[in-house]
Amino acid sequence: MLSSIRPKNRVIYAYLLFPVALYVFSVFLPLLTAGYYSLFEWKGGPSKTFIGLENYLGLLNDSLFWESFSHNIYLVIACIIGQVGIAFIFVMMLSSNLVKLKGIHRTFGFFPSTVSAVSIGFIWTMVYDYRRGILNWFLELIGKGDAAKVWLNEPTLVMLLISIPLIWQFIGYYMVILLSATTSIDKEIIESSQIDGASAFQRAIHIVLPLIKNTLLVCITLCVAGNMKAFDHIYVMTKGGPGTSSMVMALYGYTVSFNQQNMGYGSAISIGIFVISLLVIGGAQLLVKTLTREKGEKA
Amino acid sequence: MDNNMKKKSGLSLVTRLSNGILSLFTNITLLIFSLSCIFPLIWMFYSSLKEKREFNADIMSLPKSPSFSNYIAILTNKDYRIFESMFNSLRTTVITVTLIVVLGFIVGYILARIKFRGNALLNIMFLMGLLIPIHSLLVPIYVVFNNTGLGNQWFTLIIPYVAFGLPIAIFLVQGFVKAIPIAMEEAAAIDGSSFTRTLFGIIMPICKPILSTVAIVQVFSTWNEFSFALVLMKDRRLWTVPLAMTQFTGQFSSDYTKIMAAMLITMLPVIVFYFIFSKQIIRGMVAGAVKG
Repeated sequence: MLSSIRPKNRVIYAYLLFPVALYVFSVFLPLLTAGYYSLFEWKGGPSKTFIGLENYLGLLNDSLFWESFSHNIYLVIACIIGQVGIAFIFVMMLSSNLVKLKGIHRTFGFFPSTVSAVSIGFIWTMVYDYRRGILNWFLELIGKGDAAKVWLNEPTLVMLLISIPLIWQFIGYYMVILLSATTSIDKEIIESSQIDGASAFQRAIHIVLPLIKNTLLVCITLCVAGNMKAFDHIYVMTKGGPGTSSMVMALYGYTVSFNQQNMGYGSAISIGIFVISLLVIGGAQLLVKTLTREKGEKA
Repeated sequence: MDNNMKKKSGLSLVTRLSNGILSLFTNITLLIFSLSCIFPLIWMFYSSLKEKREFNADIMSLPKSPSFSNYIAILTNKDYRIFESMFNSLRTTVITVTLIVVLGFIVGYILARIKFRGNALLNIMFLMGLLIPIHSLLVPIYVVFNNTGLGNQWFTLIIPYVAFGLPIAIFLVQGFVKAIPIAMEEAAAIDGSSFTRTLFGIIMPICKPILSTVAIVQVFSTWNEFSFALVLMKDRRLWTVPLAMTQFTGQFSSDYTKIMAAMLITMLPVIVFYFIFSKQIIRGMVAGAVKG
């Protein structure tokens, strides 16, 4: 074989050494380390005591961890409905002949997804601010000034209020992804359905939806993965508060490890997050796959 | 065309009216959404030209006598570390993205084209990287970097950022390279081109479309990354923009106009970059998301 197509092993390994080392060091080594330290009672100092699986038993009974997990799930569901759902409706609107300024909607709508979570969090903190917030300003404007609140201090509302910026930020992102899928649909299919008298709603459900189901699956997977790792927005907006009303898993691991200096337990939480996220993301993929398959068979 | 016209004139008044209402409704809905995406920028800009007192009196009104005093205050005070943080972000982003593109290309090409012992293992390892919930590494990575003394250096963040960006880059490059006919390399080999020269001189230019997709996706995720920077960087002089901004908003929590000015200054590079290249950026991000 020609040497330039099949270089010597030495050459290959030389090329691969640096990237592989970097990758193993940043991804697998931390996981192993976390697995090791999770077996210790360790407050970050020089001394640590081996306690076996006690941290994990603690984790199973840690209601705060499971509350955080439920908040992650809340965000996943809210964002699948909000982001992918609204994005789909917008795409249906955009692909009708009724809408003007399509390019503007694409460019502007996509913009928030390129902005850092810190900026987005700050902007929405200002929306919800008590004395100088846009929301209270608006309530005053429509004569409902007495409904004004310190919004992010409401334990029952805080998850909803946090999911709104998350949803808003990425609608445009999913909109553009779905739009690229719908534009690749054969125009003739749409036209012939129009001639057959299908309404816009029927077209959306029975023709467009099945044709872009793979892209939709990608969007939902992205959505699940994205919200299992929720951290930045919440850190900026509420730090998990009031109390623990908006605590999510990653933020809980962070708080335990760095604010309470409980590195041993923090490591166990990290392994917990790893396993649970993997299960949820994998489970969601499996679920959506079987669901779309069944639908396809029926149709 | 003819058919369509006939159809339209045949529509009853009711249908046309309801179409009109529907059109109005869809246009207004989308306009409200698009405006909401851009309004924060506009609002922050004109508000940052107000004094704190004027803003507190009325948060929505336009500035009566616009002044750049907030900007001057921020840019002249070194303690705010605005430029420093922008420089840190820029350095981290440029080096990270370059490394991801080059290393992703090399590994992606080798895994796609060359059979060697360990190929399958490496493939699985990098595929796992697409599945591993990276955020679970937040605490462990701090422990590793702290123990090895790699934390808190100017290059610290580049290491995990490159590692986290590699799997998707490798995956995209692999898919792209597999579609290139192998005759390409055979011809080069007959001409006496070495492996390295073929790799960088012939294959890399062909891969430009996919490499620019990789670069676009990584520019934004690196520039905006917050959580790992928060954990790994303790030295304020090394903070990237998102970190510096959380500090800044905490420090001036009552002075919104100043915060807005700082936000806009640090967002400016991304805003300009986005609005100049929005078409390519949107296309690149979509390709990166869908194929990944």
